[in-house]
Amino acid sequence: MMAQQSVPGIEARELRDKCAIVGIGSTEFSRNSGRSALTLATEASLAAIADAGLKPNEIDGIIRCTSDTVAYNALAASLGVDELNFWGETGPGGVAPCAMIGMAAGAILSGQARNVLLYRSLNGRSEVRFGAGQNRSGAQVVGGLGSYDEFFLPYGLLTAGQMFALIAQRHMLQYGTTAEQLGALALLCRENANDTPHAQMHDRRMTLDDYLASRFIAKPLRLFDFCLETDGACAVVVTAADRARDMPHHPVLVRAVGLGSPPDLRGGMMFPTLMRDDITAMPGYTAGRRLWSQAGVGPAEIDVAQIYDCFTISLLLQLEAFGLCPRGEGGPFAASGALRRDGSLPINTAGGNMSEGYIHGMNHVVEAVRQLRHTAAVQVPGAELCLVTGGPLPVGSSALLRRA
Amino acid sequence: MAERMIPPLADRDTGGFFAAAAEGRLVLRTCSDCGRVLNPPMAHCRFCGSWNTGWKDSAGRGTLYSWTVVTHGVHPAYPTPYTVVLVDVDDAPGARLVGMIPGEPSLRAGQPMEVWFDPAGDGAVIPQWRPVDAASS
Repeated sequence: MMAQQSVPGIEARELRDKCAIVGIGSTEFSRNSGRSALTLATEASLAAIADAGLKPNEIDGIIRCTSDTVAYNALAASLGVDELNFWGETGPGGVAPCAMIGMAAGAILSGQARNVLLYRSLNGRSEVRFGAGQNRSGAQVVGGLGSYDEFFLPYGLLTAGQMFALIAQRHMLQYGTTAEQLGALALLCRENANDTPHAQMHDRRMTLDDYLASRFIAKPLRLFDFCLETDGACAVVVTAADRARDMPHHPVLVRAVGLGSPPDLRGGMMFPTLMRDDITAMPGYTAGRRLWSQAGVGPAEIDVAQIYDCFTISLLLQLEAFGLCPRGEGGPFAASGALRRDGSLPINTAGGNMSEGYIHGMNHVVEAVRQLRHTAAVQVPGAELCLVTGGPLPVGSSALLRRA
Repeated sequence: MAERMIPPLADRDTGGFFAAAAEGRLVLRTCSDCGRVLNPPMAHCRFCGSWNTGWKDSAGRGTLYSWTVVTHGVHPAYPTPYTVVLVDVDDAPGARLVGMIPGEPSLRAGQPMEVWFDPAGDGAVIPQWRPVDAASS
């Protein structure tokens, strides 16, 4: 375990417990929202701002995911933010949410903003389906200009699922990981969603036989190794911890934020990571080292975790990378029951991307806050510390949140 | 019938790879000072800091690292099933390339692979990988 190793030169006191998440908001998660991504972002953001006891014109910073079609100024204009003093974006897809928390804390602690809104909004089923692959425009000439897509797309390597299938196959070859072990992760997410009323898979039960009988998409990965595609939005509000005490809900403190690149970093959006020597090595190794060092606690001390789960294999690899189990032992750990709600480390308590909804990990942040407010549908009793991870490629991010 | 996707042939960093493929050669961007391979191709050597980099010929033999059989298609020019392979180039340590094999061939990790040159359309040629036939190797 990598608990509490300190990273030289990292001064934990600068960030630890000085900011808080004080508002959360979500839309319905559906297959067809019938509304624009801007409308969804506005709805989730208004809910988060109201949850914090604030008015829209008290938001002075907005941070977005690089993949979002909604621009920060568009959202500000829609909400009625009078004056935007800070904005930013923090990378693609699942990388973004935890990195947004870190950027918000940096903006607040450096005096650039007071109340920062973070959001992710997408019509991921009815408008922009990530499962449709990287060439949605239908162009014949693909790649170039630093994308490196020309080394992948012409070969029919088109989707994140195919990329993670190559990674899963390699993990199986190296460590003997099995379909049943991957299935255990899909199952525990589903079980949690079954008891979470707003989860998309709330009323859809699944057994291991159902999982094993699901059709292959890209071997060795099956349909139920893949996350959902969802229309919806989530938003949270971050402010300084000393202001958080006067707000309506129990504050959830930002204990630490850890970002990192994978070993043997490559360029491009996603596929060039396959050119690395060891494709099962995730950025969580560096992000986690930074996180635990800053937090002053280790993996053994957390009560609950929301692990980014675009695929079962990406979830499994992050268990290893963030030090929740040793390298190569993610499969047996997944199947051990430890990660189920009654286990030693419950994860993805609302169902995650696999079964709650695919809001690119912003739903993981919202669920972490519910856990630490003690208002989750599948509540871990007395939860004080929640790990949230993002990613897992091309770079990774993580945050440790603490009940004040 | 949809057309297959092809690379741009004049990209300033990667065009040389496909220009060589059009001549039936597999080349990899390599540092002339330290000898390390830069893949995907780029002008600057991150290992030794040199700008003295260029294209180096490979004999075109490789070793199978991983693969996936794609059974759910998302593009009409790529009928399923097909198999995407990751191959480590034997004479260029650090160079891993992608190939596509129609159908679902029997494969095993570490299997010897060889390059061939695939006319992908509109003058573009892309290096491909297939198992070395046991009888002819």
